[in-house]
Amino acid sequence: MDKFDLKNQAFPVQETPAEDYPNESQNCIKNTKNLPIWFQRDFNLSKKDREIIRKYLDGLTDDEIIEIYYQMRDQKEPWDGGYFYPNIQILFGTPFEREKDRREQKIWNEKYGEGNEVVAWYKGAKEKSCVWWLENHIIARHALSASGCMSCGACTALCPAAEFFDYNPRIIMETVQEKNEDAIIQLLKSDTIWYCTQCGSCKPKCPRENNPFGMISSLRQLSQIKGYHVYSVRGRQQYAARHLWGGNLWNRACTLYFRDPSWEAHRDFGPRFEKYFKNQEAYFRSIGACPDMDGSLSGRKVHPETLHEVRRLWHAGGGLYMWELIEDSAKKQADELGITIDEYHDKVKTEG
Amino acid sequence: MIENNRLFSEVGRESLWKRYIKDIPDDGYFLTLSCILGALYPGSEAMLPKVYDLLGLNWGTSPKPESGWTCCSGIAYHGDIMPIEGTLLTVARLWSIAQEIGVDAITMSCVTSFGIHCECKDLYEQEPGLKEKIDRLLKQSCGREFEIPKHILHISDVYYHYRDQLRDNFMKFQLIDEKTGRHLNVVDHVGCHYSKLFPEEHSLGGSEYCEVLSGMGTAWGGKEIDYPERRHCCGMGFRQCMISPNRAGTMASVHKKMKSMSPFQPDLIITNCPGCQVFIDKEQWAIHEITGEKYFIPVLTYQEVAGLLMGWDPYEVVGIQFHTVPVEPLLDKIGIPYDPSESWLGANNRQLY
Repeated sequence: MDKFDLKNQAFPVQETPAEDYPNESQNCIKNTKNLPIWFQRDFNLSKKDREIIRKYLDGLTDDEIIEIYYQMRDQKEPWDGGYFYPNIQILFGTPFEREKDRREQKIWNEKYGEGNEVVAWYKGAKEKSCVWWLENHIIARHALSASGCMSCGACTALCPAAEFFDYNPRIIMETVQEKNEDAIIQLLKSDTIWYCTQCGSCKPKCPRENNPFGMISSLRQLSQIKGYHVYSVRGRQQYAARHLWGGNLWNRACTLYFRDPSWEAHRDFGPRFEKYFKNQEAYFRSIGACPDMDGSLSGRKVHPETLHEVRRLWHAGGGLYMWELIEDSAKKQADELGITIDEYHDKVKTEG
Repeated sequence: MIENNRLFSEVGRESLWKRYIKDIPDDGYFLTLSCILGALYPGSEAMLPKVYDLLGLNWGTSPKPESGWTCCSGIAYHGDIMPIEGTLLTVARLWSIAQEIGVDAITMSCVTSFGIHCECKDLYEQEPGLKEKIDRLLKQSCGREFEIPKHILHISDVYYHYRDQLRDNFMKFQLIDEKTGRHLNVVDHVGCHYSKLFPEEHSLGGSEYCEVLSGMGTAWGGKEIDYPERRHCCGMGFRQCMISPNRAGTMASVHKKMKSMSPFQPDLIITNCPGCQVFIDKEQWAIHEITGEKYFIPVLTYQEVAGLLMGWDPYEVVGIQFHTVPVEPLLDKIGIPYDPSESWLGANNRQLY
């Protein structure tokens, strides 16, 4: 087999290098201090600033916002034997990127929506009972063995979430097993299911070979499909999760972007982390990684064709449908609260 | 039966142990990476291909950038924004690429990814018709075909497999105090999704007696430390650590572990899960700020431990400056030389601080 190109600095094939660093009029912004506020990730914006953001974004057509986004994303400058894409860090996690994603994914759903068998199954499940879901969803079916839960509590005894939160996987398994529709709906509307850390410590301890964390994962999916997650503080955090992990997947083919753990948001990581984070590009390059560059190791920019391919898969696999449901529930609740969707995003990401 | 104060005889132990040993092929590996490890410990990621090459292995990854590596979508699945079908398809695509380059052992640096690949394989084995359905969807969406790979290996499995060879042929140092000759106290923290999801099929030693990291630690000169909360989760929890208001749960789990291991005076903690590595290392600072308890036990990935023992540059190659808990005191114990003035050098040796 050919040795892979992790060591090949010319990955991928280089085009003619740009002569000059693109200027601001070409939507490539070098000085981040002068960024328009729709590129701010600040949670403390004033009501007036939020109105300005919304007015600007609402004023853009679908084509315009998508075109501006990709023009900015693809601006590049030669650096260290390859190309550096300076605007990726400006775009990620902003109201602008979230608005682009909403519009673009809606277009995808319309374009590729017909005949999607996975989405058809989930749409059907939305209209059926919760008990039906538990008897039919693949993860729920595999999570409860034929011999059932005997309420021994082994899962709860070593559960890290049960130790620190008002949470008890044994009771969740009992509720599921009793198949009481009202009790299940109450569970889906509560904070309870969202405390699970999905570590799986419960699974090898169950004497009946049940999988409590798998069952909870299935219940969380159901909660969002039914729109019950917005009834709880922990549940509606899914709107922030949909844009954090979903935004990274959709735009960078990775659930985490290397700039996500910013030092401002992670003061608990200490002063050494702050030092590191402020010069991340230089440290990355010094160690052979590829910060916002074409490449293969950490921080690389994914090839557009690769991104397109996985987007098709996430659409076919029901990911976009799930994001649309989360989006619709959030919009509805934001309207009820009389706040913009941008305010709603920041609210759910910081409350609790 | 109890023989010589042991629960099982050696023969019995050996026979039981066979249930928890996995078949690790010598090479023919497909390499997939982590979406978090490289962000915070880029040296750990960059060292993987170096070690594969050093061992002279036959390995590969995406053959061309336009059909490149992507994340497995595992965090999105466990974070509940991706249905299982989306994750099955993402993993099927990675398996399809592995098939293109002709290998049937998937190796990944991420424990979440490892758990996801194992779960996909398990689902195909347990659920009639699922393979045919994902085959159809993959073909319709991007024209690819895939087969279920024979081996799912975490890269710590590979290091474990080659632990003696790495020591005998490449290591210049051991996990021994150079001044006293004391074997260093090594705590292993195995990622939950490595050992707890499929303990018999995919974990070296199962969930309780997992040997993947302690095996490396002892082979490289250290002394294995057992402590009450050894198998307790680090609390990363996906939505717990990444949605700020939930992070207290993560910190509390790390605190519980640190309190439990501290009386055993660990010299270092070895991890194989990127998420555990991040939070066990980084939350020690916050725990100190909040409680005044100063643990500051260096936390290293197995790649970093191997790199340091092989004499690779602590800053330029291994990247110890990216740690919250300083690693230099450990280097002093082992006798690994380093130049502190190089700790904050960037590209082209530019001094950043």
